Amino acid sequence: MRILKRYIIPRIIQFFVVVFVGITITFIVPRFTPLDPVQMTINRVASYGAQYLDAETLEHLKQTLTDLYGLKGTVFEQYVRFWDRLLHGDFGPSLAMFPTPVMEVISNSIPWTLGLLIMSVLIAWLIGNFIGGIAGYFSEKRWAKVLSVIAATIYPIPYYFMALILIIVFGYLIPVFPIIGGLSIGMQPSFSFGFIIDLIKHAFLPSLSLVIVGIGWWFLSMKALSSTTKSEDYVQYAEAAGIPQSKILFGYVMKNSLLPQVTNLALSLGGVFNGALVTEYFFAYPGIGQTLYMAVTNGDFNLMMGISVFSIFSIASAALVIDLLYPLIDPRVRYR
Amino acid sequence: MKKFWRVWLLIVLTGLLTLTLTAQVLPKVPRGDLLIVDALHGRLAKTDFNIWKPATQAGNGIQQALMDTLWYVDPTSGEWINALAAEPPIYNEDATVMTVKLRKGIYWSDGVEFTADDVVFTVKTQIEHPGFNYSGTFSAYVKDVYAKDKYTVVFELKKPYPRFHNFFNVLIYGACYIMPKHVFEKVEDPLKFDFNPPVSLGPYVLKDYDKAGYWWFFERREDWQRTSVGMVYGKPKPKYLLFIYYGPEEKKVLAQAQHQLDCIFDLTPEAWDVLRKRNKYSMVWYKDFPWAWMDDVAARGLCFNLTKFPYNIRQVRWALALSIDIKDVIISGFNGIERLAPLHEAPTTAFMKYFDKPLKEWLEDFTIQVGDEQFKPFDPTIPDQIAEWAKKQGYNVTMNPEDIWGIGWWKYAPDVAEKLLKEAGFTKKDGKWYLPNGEPWKITLVGLPAEIDSARLAFAVADQWRKFGIETNVETVEAGVFWTRWSLGDFDVGSYWPASASGVSDIWPLYQGWHKRYVVPTGQAASNNQIRWTSNIASDILDKMATLKPGDPRLMELSRDLFKVFVEEMPYICTVINKKFNAYDQYVWTNFPSAENPYMSTAWWWGTFKFLLPFLEPTGRAPSEEYKK
Repeated sequence: MRILKRYIIPRIIQFFVVVFVGITITFIVPRFTPLDPVQMTINRVASYGAQYLDAETLEHLKQTLTDLYGLKGTVFEQYVRFWDRLLHGDFGPSLAMFPTPVMEVISNSIPWTLGLLIMSVLIAWLIGNFIGGIAGYFSEKRWAKVLSVIAATIYPIPYYFMALILIIVFGYLIPVFPIIGGLSIGMQPSFSFGFIIDLIKHAFLPSLSLVIVGIGWWFLSMKALSSTTKSEDYVQYAEAAGIPQSKILFGYVMKNSLLPQVTNLALSLGGVFNGALVTEYFFAYPGIGQTLYMAVTNGDFNLMMGISVFSIFSIASAALVIDLLYPLIDPRVRYR
Repeated sequence: MKKFWRVWLLIVLTGLLTLTLTAQVLPKVPRGDLLIVDALHGRLAKTDFNIWKPATQAGNGIQQALMDTLWYVDPTSGEWINALAAEPPIYNEDATVMTVKLRKGIYWSDGVEFTADDVVFTVKTQIEHPGFNYSGTFSAYVKDVYAKDKYTVVFELKKPYPRFHNFFNVLIYGACYIMPKHVFEKVEDPLKFDFNPPVSLGPYVLKDYDKAGYWWFFERREDWQRTSVGMVYGKPKPKYLLFIYYGPEEKKVLAQAQHQLDCIFDLTPEAWDVLRKRNKYSMVWYKDFPWAWMDDVAARGLCFNLTKFPYNIRQVRWALALSIDIKDVIISGFNGIERLAPLHEAPTTAFMKYFDKPLKEWLEDFTIQVGDEQFKPFDPTIPDQIAEWAKKQGYNVTMNPEDIWGIGWWKYAPDVAEKLLKEAGFTKKDGKWYLPNGEPWKITLVGLPAEIDSARLAFAVADQWRKFGIETNVETVEAGVFWTRWSLGDFDVGSYWPASASGVSDIWPLYQGWHKRYVVPTGQAASNNQIRWTSNIASDILDKMATLKPGDPRLMELSRDLFKVFVEEMPYICTVINKKFNAYDQYVWTNFPSAENPYMSTAWWWGTFKFLLPFLEPTGRAPSEEYKK
């Protein structure tokens, strides 16, 4: 009961406060930018051929769109309507793809991003932490130093640069992977071997760009953590007691170094709703990151809010889950 | 051991070969039957074929392949095409009734005949459903619309309007396309209907599309003869059309270099330079320098908010124009690849013929008052100077410089600009300009980085004005902010593109918005006249033009008078036309329009594109079912 009162309930309250404040900020910020979705739609109508719309009727169109987009009334009135809709699971229509519901746009994009990012983050996390942990433990070895230099070189490479290199090498010089889309033209989703291979083939290059850069970060952070853990008293004591090196490495050093990495992993997974904007843009991959970019450039308030709400909710949930799981995996939290 | 490595090598090579063969993104149809076009709008997270809704994007193949309307005018050739209409519109004496005779024998792709009822239904549906693109327009103008017979539509208008037909005339990009009555009449709420699968009135049908929004695949109709394209120009040559978005331009260049993208929307000059060296079949418009297509129907200008000091002063605007060395701007900012726009219109081939060349003499004689003297600001020699520079760079200039770079622009005359500013109370100390109240003169020039020429113009001109002694900074903003600030008037100076053109000489539809009645206070969104120009003379001319029918010889005179007023007042500084590197690959298809054969615009993103398709010819270099040798 004590842990419930002193640990779990405060964290759940904190979760709801974070979500409420985050969503409120998400609502307010776009309205204080110079973006006007109605005017942007009219600009688009005007620049794409309907410029012969009579000037007076453009004004009429402006009123109609303000009505249709639900942008009538004060910001507070819009805010109240927004919460009312949100509690009913409705983000309203996308303004740039009117009247398609925001939920439909998000649900079309999110599976691609989830598949791409969850796999990429997990692969990078596993490989980076495994090698980083060993390199940290054997930090004096020559090969560990070489690996550190490689990781330190790869980690700061911008995603777009890595993406471009991969595209040129594997899409042009040795054209073995497709450079666009999530599936081949004409491929219908099914549980067939052909479909799965096609899916993997399209996701391979974007995923590889994320994994290569991701590994660098996980490697360096894990190496730093395990180097520190290695010098802890209990590790020194275990070595003095003659416990096998493999057990010290995996059971003492890596296990204890992993805790902050697990937190970071959870936050990274929670952040997948943000998408991988640059990667998706370069590989023309149909994920949520590019949808968010489209929403921002088109002044699509509702879509921006829909994606941001998902993102806030998922990151806050991931942090909450980790907070709640910590007492189970780290005894130090239980005894505090 | 050797054997082991050989086996491994074999496995790797086989794997690579298999992947290479399956790495193609293209549909499994013979490449020689397929035309691949860059999708203008990029990715569409949701494809909606109901293009009559305001937010729907039609340029990713929908209007080019599936839609049709009554008339088209090609901006390059100026050719009027009777599409669904059998002939041009017929107006009564006072232009309150417009009668349209339709072509017989046109069918929707589902076998239903296209008739006057479809046109009537389109107009009435728009009127009855506020929110459709043309709802306001048709409500404002149409008193009644009815089918006189199966192939004749009569529009009764609420007020005389001799240009009503332009709503059904693709002059630039698109127009009001015709709805299929037999489909939409069964729909409860047409505004929520996504018209999927679409029924086509164009020469193609939708075969498949990417739900994730990257490609749209069309197949030529078996009954293409029963479409306007088939009737006017014959069979569209490609059996299949693929509109596809490859992503950033680097990937478009790679795709065209591999012959996997026939038509690109637009490239930066740098990207084009890479592409032409990688693919000998790639071309834009001119065979040699400056390559680019310079017939896009807009021109860039340095726009002022005319309600703000000191840009509300005519001498100041003229001083800013004369402090620009345009030759330097063209060479340093655009590597010599831009056509000059001295008049406030886009000098396309057609508009050069209608306005620039006929007004050249007037421009040469035109003077502005500088102190007690008259100064002739126009310099017709600039195109020749640019051509000379190009030749020195080793480029071939095979055409008349005036046809490429325009008729000229304003002289670089900083001494005259200085006199004008001093007359207006400005002072210059230590090479820096000060406002009449003694404060330093600072200009913030707004540009759009996504529109590379807008940004380049802003930076190049800022450099010129800094040299002249004005503290000028460029502020680049995202598209949404850029256009919202434009409509709100939230700028001092901006690199926008307010001047336009079309294939017809009647400029009133394009220029009506410059009337003073559309001026609104800064901070209030403006759909027209965003620079807030209040000109009684220009408004009077526009009022006179409004009453004349297209084709009336007085219109041309009034249009030229209007451009003279623009020059005299210089409400914004028109600089260069919107050029485009809309590259096409002649590896699979040939006979695209070019400077040598300018039969049509190379605007793959306009509705007019469907009429270009019958002119294409297969080269025989790619496998084809249809064009087997």
